Amino acid sequence: MKNIAIIGSGAGGLITSSKLSKDLSKEIKNGEVTITLFDKKREQEFQPGYLEVAFRGTDPSKIRRPVKKLVSPGVKMVYDNVEKVDLANRYVKTEGSSEKINFDYVIISTGSSPDYDQIDGLKQANMDFHTDAYNASLIYNRISSIKSGKIVVGIGGLPYKCPPSPNESAFMLHEHFRKKGIRDDVEIIYVTPFTRIYSAESINEVIEPMYERRDIESITAFNTDTVDAEKKEITSLEGETLKYDYLFLTPPHKPAGFLKGSDMSDEDGWVKVDKKDLHITTYDNGFAIGDTTNIPISKAGVEAHLEGIVVANNIVGEITGTGQKYKFTGRTQCSMETGFHKATFVVGTYDRPVEKIEPSTMNYMEKKVMEKIYWGSLHGHYEWLFKYHFKKDYFEE
Amino acid sequence: MTTLNVDSRGTACPGPITDLIRAYKKAQNGDLIVLVANDPGAVPDSKAWCERTRNEFVGSKEIENSFEITIRVTGKKA
Ligand SMILES: Cc1cc2nc3c(=O)[nH]c(=O)nc-3n(C[C@H](O)[C@H](O)[C@H](O)COP(=O)(O)OP(=O)(O)OC[C@H]3O[C@@H](n4cnc5c(N)ncnc54)[C@H](O)[C@@H]3O)c2cc1C
Repeated sequence: MKNIAIIGSGAGGLITSSKLSKDLSKEIKNGEVTITLFDKKREQEFQPGYLEVAFRGTDPSKIRRPVKKLVSPGVKMVYDNVEKVDLANRYVKTEGSSEKINFDYVIISTGSSPDYDQIDGLKQANMDFHTDAYNASLIYNRISSIKSGKIVVGIGGLPYKCPPSPNESAFMLHEHFRKKGIRDDVEIIYVTPFTRIYSAESINEVIEPMYERRDIESITAFNTDTVDAEKKEITSLEGETLKYDYLFLTPPHKPAGFLKGSDMSDEDGWVKVDKKDLHITTYDNGFAIGDTTNIPISKAGVEAHLEGIVVANNIVGEITGTGQKYKFTGRTQCSMETGFHKATFVVGTYDRPVEKIEPSTMNYMEKKVMEKIYWGSLHGHYEWLFKYHFKKDYFEE
Repeated sequence: MTTLNVDSRGTACPGPITDLIRAYKKAQNGDLIVLVANDPGAVPDSKAWCERTRNEFVGSKEIENSFEITIRVTGKKA
C-alpha cells in the first residue's frame, strides 16, 4: 500500500492529484494506493480573475468554485490545514490534531500569500486587488468613485506571485479612466524595485514605450519601506517619499507559516527543491511544487501545473515500476494584459531567456481561452492540449 | 559590518536582481552583499541598480563561469 499526501488544493495540488488519480486508478481501486488532499478551504478561486473583478467589475461568484466539484474521483479530500510535515518519519499532522497521518510520498503545494508585516502601514493604506475575490470586488466600487487624483501602483516588495500582474493593474487602471473620459484628471505612477518597468529586458522593450504613450509615469529602483496611511505617503528604503491619493501595490509574499524554520526550507520558509525533478533537497519521498518552492522563476499557475505533472509522472513511474523519469523545463507563460483587448506573454525556460512578444488580440484571446478551460484543466481534461501547446517544454524526458 | 552571501547561480533575469533586492532589504548601511550569478546580465543590472539606489558597486570578477559581484550597502536612510 502506498499513501500519497498532497498539501494544498490550489492549482498545483489539484492538477497533481487529478493526474495521479487518473494514472493510478487501477491501483486505487485495488486498494494499493491512496491519495489524500489536505486544505481547509472549501472554495477555490481563479486568481488571475481578481484583475477582472477589481478593474472591470466582474462578479466574484464567476471566479469561484466549491472544492468538492474540483476534486477528482479516487482522491480523498480532508478539509484541514497541515501544520507539520515530518519527512524523515513520513507523517503529517493537521492543525490542532495529534494524529500522525503516514505517507509514502508527500507533495507540498501550499502556495504563497501576502506578507503585510514586511511593510509597515501598507495593509491599512493598500487597495489590494491581488489576494482574494471579495477584496478585489471592493476595489471596483472604489475606483468607480474616483474622479481625479494621483494613483500609485506597482510592486510593493519581493517575491510576489504572477510577475506581470502589477503591470497589468497599471494598464487596466489606465483603460478604466480612459473609457470614463477622465484619464487626464488621474495621474498614474508605477513603482518597482527593479531597474526596468518589467524586470526582463525583452518584455520591458515592449511595454516601456506603451507606458510613455499612455502617460503612465514610472519610478524604478524604488524599494518601498513604509507607508503612512494618514499622510498618504510611501517612503523607500533610501528615504525618498512619494505622495499618493490611492495606492494599489502588489504586496510581497510569504510561504505557509508551518514551513518557516523547517529543515526543508530556506530562511524565509520557501521549500528548497531540485529545480528539475522538484524533490525536496535531501529527501527522495518529498516534493514541493508551485509558489511555495524556492525556485527563482515566476510564481505562477503554469509552473505549478507543469511541475505537478512532472512529479505525478515520476511517482507513477516508481509505483508502477516503469521507472519513467521526467524533468521540469522551467517553462513560464504568464499572460500580461495590456488593456483594450490586447495581451503579451512572458515566455521562457531554464535554457531560453524571456522572448519578446508584442501585445496582440490573438494573445488576449488565448488568455480568455485559458479562463474558460481553467476549472476543467484542474481535473486534467485538457492535458492533451497543454502537451500540444508546450511541446518539448511540457517536460523533459 | 556583515557580509551577506547570495548564491544566484542557475537563475536568470530577474533571479539575481530579485535575490539582491531581498538581501538588501535585510542589510544595513556598511554591510557587503556578495552576489554570485552565472547570468552575465547580472553585472550590468546590479551596476544600474546601485547607481539608481545610491549603493556602492564595489566590483565584479569572473570565477569559474560565474560572476562574483560585490556591493556595499550605503544607500539606506539612516
Ligand atoms: C492577480 C493574479 C493574477 C495571476 N495571473 C496568472 C496568470 O495569468 N498566469 C499564471 O500562470 N498564474 C497567474 N497567477 C498566479 C497563480 O494563481 C498562482 O501562481 C498559482 O495559483 C499557484 O499555485 P499553487 O498551487 O502553488 O498555490 P495556490 O493555487 O495559491 O494554492 C495553495 C493552496 O494551499 C493551501 N494551503 C496553504 N497553507 C496550507 C496548509 N498549511 N495546509 C493545507 N493547505 C494549505 C491554500 O489554502 C491554497 O488553497 C495570478 C495570481 C494572481 C494573484
